[in-house]
Amino acid sequence: MAQLPPQTIQRDPQLFYWILFPITAVMILTGILRYYATVLMATPPKRLEQPAMKEQRSLMHGVALRSNFHALAAPSFKARREQLTTAYESGAYLKDPERRGQPAPNPMTDPGAMDGMMGMMKNNMAMIIPNTLIMSWINAFFSGFVILKLPFPITIKFKSMLQAGVATKEMDPRWMSSISWYFLCYFGLQFVFNFLLGSDNAASQMAQQVQGMAPQAPNMFGPGVDADKQFLAEAENLAVIDHYSVLDGVEERLLQDFSK
Amino acid sequence: MSSSSLLRSPSNLPPATALQLAQHAPKILENSPGAVSTSALESLFSATETPELWIIYENLLLSCLRTGDEQSAHHCLGRLVNRFGDDNERIMALIGLLKEADAEDNATLEVVLKEYEQILENDPTNIPITKRRAALLRSLGRVSDAVTALIALLDFSPTDSEAWSELADLYFSQGLYSQAIFALEEILVLQPNAWNIHARLGEMLLMAAKTSQQTDASKQLSEALKRFCRSVELCDDYLRGYYGLKLTTKQLLSDTKKSTKLPESGGLSLPDAATLRKLDGLATEKLGEITRRFSAGERGWQGYDEAEIAAARELLEKEGGITVR
Repeated sequence: MAQLPPQTIQRDPQLFYWILFPITAVMILTGILRYYATVLMATPPKRLEQPAMKEQRSLMHGVALRSNFHALAAPSFKARREQLTTAYESGAYLKDPERRGQPAPNPMTDPGAMDGMMGMMKNNMAMIIPNTLIMSWINAFFSGFVILKLPFPITIKFKSMLQAGVATKEMDPRWMSSISWYFLCYFGLQFVFNFLLGSDNAASQMAQQVQGMAPQAPNMFGPGVDADKQFLAEAENLAVIDHYSVLDGVEERLLQDFSK
Repeated sequence: MSSSSLLRSPSNLPPATALQLAQHAPKILENSPGAVSTSALESLFSATETPELWIIYENLLLSCLRTGDEQSAHHCLGRLVNRFGDDNERIMALIGLLKEADAEDNATLEVVLKEYEQILENDPTNIPITKRRAALLRSLGRVSDAVTALIALLDFSPTDSEAWSELADLYFSQGLYSQAIFALEEILVLQPNAWNIHARLGEMLLMAAKTSQQTDASKQLSEALKRFCRSVELCDDYLRGYYGLKLTTKQLLSDTKKSTKLPESGGLSLPDAATLRKLDGLATEKLGEITRRFSAGERGWQGYDEAEIAAARELLEKEGGITVR
């Protein structure tokens, strides 16, 4: 079979300086800008009010007692269980005892929850706005330019990815359009940002995307969780504990260890 | 030595090491970066920031205060404030600590106390400052106020083992053994494998047994025995554990000799005399081994406190029988 002559396209060498280089530079600079913007916009985590802290830590106290009950002798454990169960059931540790028994408030109306959502919104906006702007900038000025030829052959499948915006059927997929270069930068600049800004920075878009896709861990103390129900469940957990102590027979264990 | 012992909490360091650290403070300060730039370009060339650096500053600050080198302490604090700002809770506590150290008389301390109260009024959940306030109240001699402050802290934060242990110590200094025992048990709920707390609880029970009634005393003694056993089970060659074990078995053996019948105990069963004797033998043997190896300067046996070794040797010598080389 006769070898097809390689496609050649006469390109202006200036294309490199006026398209490839500006796109790359703009992408890096926006990445760095975005990093500092998120640093500036980040609000410090909201302080817990004293009653809220009491509610959370009292529940944690119960969990600690449930998991470490074996460190205590039976009478001390029983006294603690008695005290915690009574307090849990009477709602003594609740943040606002009047709200007991009412359904959990709508998270949208809770100002504490709104803060968290605003933070997420801000982050997403910091991602979306610059990307949209750059995209439209490239589309407006550089669409349809073929700017470089990859040094290795690739299959036809890549055509749609690499030649986005250039609707030329016969062209070898090795030719790349400017918008494709943008996408390549979008995904490939991760390491540049890691190098410039240190790892786990806000400019790394991939990390954010992965984070966005991962299922949210169930939040133990998040908005919309009924603390009263948690307390009641914990009281029940404590009630069913069949107490044994690590102190039972510790002398025999110790002597056995040393007689070996 | 410096970097590894600088990363450990300075309150556990023996005085000699603390002094050594404090004497080297100016040199350490000179060699460590004073501030870490957050700028992207500069971070390419300068040293990277590590959490250890700030731990070192904090520990060095405490060591310097311990040995009275307040100039270096101010230096450390300056760098910490530069990095974290003076509204960080931990830094606020360190600033307060330095003010306490600079105070000449009780009147100045009262002023610092007022400042703490001012801070706590604005933010009642500032735990480091709450703890500083309790410690300051204690050093001013107002023990009951300190206890009240700690109880208020533990009311909204019952999972704070540091506060529980301070409370236990306060109760113990007042001779309130059962309250101290309760507080120590709370630490064990949070940290079930803390062998030092097991041994401390044993010591507390042993002391409580000396002052309480016959039936209570035997109960407390048997629990003390078990606590010491647990402590040496968790940590081999733990001197305090064996020391306590020896004292308890001695006490129990002499008690059983006196009353011949074993006192019934609720919850925990007291082992029989044969087991007690075996435990006594084990403790004696272990104490002998520890003192011997420590004095011989063997490797891996050097971490003990001189005073504790001396006490163990004295106990063994009182016993006679065993020769301690």
